[in-house]
Amino acid sequence: MGVLIIRITLNRVHAIRDDWSLAASGTFDEGVHLVSGDVGSGKSTLALMIAGLLPLSGGSIEKEEITSTMLSLQFPELHVTGLTVAEECTSWGVPPDDILDTTGLSGKREVSPLSLSRGELNRLHLACILAKNHDLLLLDEPFSSLDCEEKEKLCTRIGQTSPGITIIFTHEQEILPRVTRIWEIVDGMLVDCGTPPDAFRNWHHVPPIIEKLTALGCRPDNLSLDDLREAACRIRG
Amino acid sequence: MIIIENLWYRNLAIDALTIKPGITTIIGPNGSGKTTFLKICAGIIVPDSGTILIDNVPPRQTDVGWVNEYPDRNLLFVNVSDEIASPLRFRHDSCDSVDTAIKSYAGTMGITHLLKRAVRQLSGGEKILVSLAAALVHDPTVLVLDEYDSHLDARVKEKNEQIIRSSGAKYIIRCTQQMDTATHSDHVLFFDNGRVRYDGTPDQVFPFLKGTAYYPLLWGCLSSESP
Repeated sequence: MGVLIIRITLNRVHAIRDDWSLAASGTFDEGVHLVSGDVGSGKSTLALMIAGLLPLSGGSIEKEEITSTMLSLQFPELHVTGLTVAEECTSWGVPPDDILDTTGLSGKREVSPLSLSRGELNRLHLACILAKNHDLLLLDEPFSSLDCEEKEKLCTRIGQTSPGITIIFTHEQEILPRVTRIWEIVDGMLVDCGTPPDAFRNWHHVPPIIEKLTALGCRPDNLSLDDLREAACRIRG
Repeated sequence: MIIIENLWYRNLAIDALTIKPGITTIIGPNGSGKTTFLKICAGIIVPDSGTILIDNVPPRQTDVGWVNEYPDRNLLFVNVSDEIASPLRFRHDSCDSVDTAIKSYAGTMGITHLLKRAVRQLSGGEKILVSLAAALVHDPTVLVLDEYDSHLDARVKEKNEQIIRSSGAKYIIRCTQQMDTATHSDHVLFFDNGRVRYDGTPDQVFPFLKGTAYYPLLWGCLSSESP
């Protein structure tokens, strides 16, 4: 019996709105993919199209062996359906006690999710989503409003996701997970920058910290804090 | 000076704190009281007890520009141009001066192409840029920014850092989860569990955070940053 290969292929996908457009072609294989781009470049639009929630203006998206898709929207408040934090967990089909323990929100079990700070709400939302396995996981700005410790935990958690495709759409520049492939949207077009660390050479949105480390002759192997710390240690000698 | 004494609001407690003119950046874990503190500085909420005076007057008697961490909670109007114009129209500026100010700020911030758009069509980052323009357009004395940078890419953030610095706002008080941004401040406050744990210049505060997730990775490695 052959090994099942999970894959998404974008065939000349187009989104057109007034005088704005986005064109995307490429293949996303199993692993963690990072998509970067300027404000308003179309990261969220692309995420919605891949999730099947936004009609394409043209082209097609081919999904192979993907039986479950999850999209985490940029605004976690748009996902809220529960009147309390505990209800919100239940609405995702996950036991509230487990989620509240891991997110440190046990004391807020009966409060409205919309009364949480945005960082707390995002932490709750991501914990509910990551409690289950998804063949295709689309995370739109998952690091937004998370504090530094939670960003690190999320990176670790993303690195532990079950086999599948994870696509992170983000402008986060400091705390990122180790990724398989880097993409970016430039001038209305999705560009495949390649795999780290070679991708750093072609990447318009390369984080300043990687530019600094590279300029100092200590290019990191990948994007994770461990990779950056290892490179920084080379500076310190 | 902003002078805070014996301030209490729910779980936030500050015995005494002085904020000088310039950029003050608040860092710390989610739920540590950063947003509550910013709302008090902006006059959106008043403390249960204690005082906060901005150049000897309460926040509600001061011109404040405010950007909420939830992009949609900043937006009151249907169109971008009406949103940016609103602070000026509320104070009955003339139509001509409102139009001039809108065009000027939109040009400076690089969002002229958004002026005719409906705010619901904007991306998260674009909503924040429109909110920032509305916060700045009336030349506030105090500019309060709640993690506005968590929605912006590096280049837009850098450009807006310069706009904010040259805005003329006497006090810029913001919170961020980008420690590199925090290093470029006059004053850093580290909040933890409703208290100001560390208070000082970046050089004074960051050494206390060594070994934590809040310590800038390259702090001390590069010549432009302090050891």
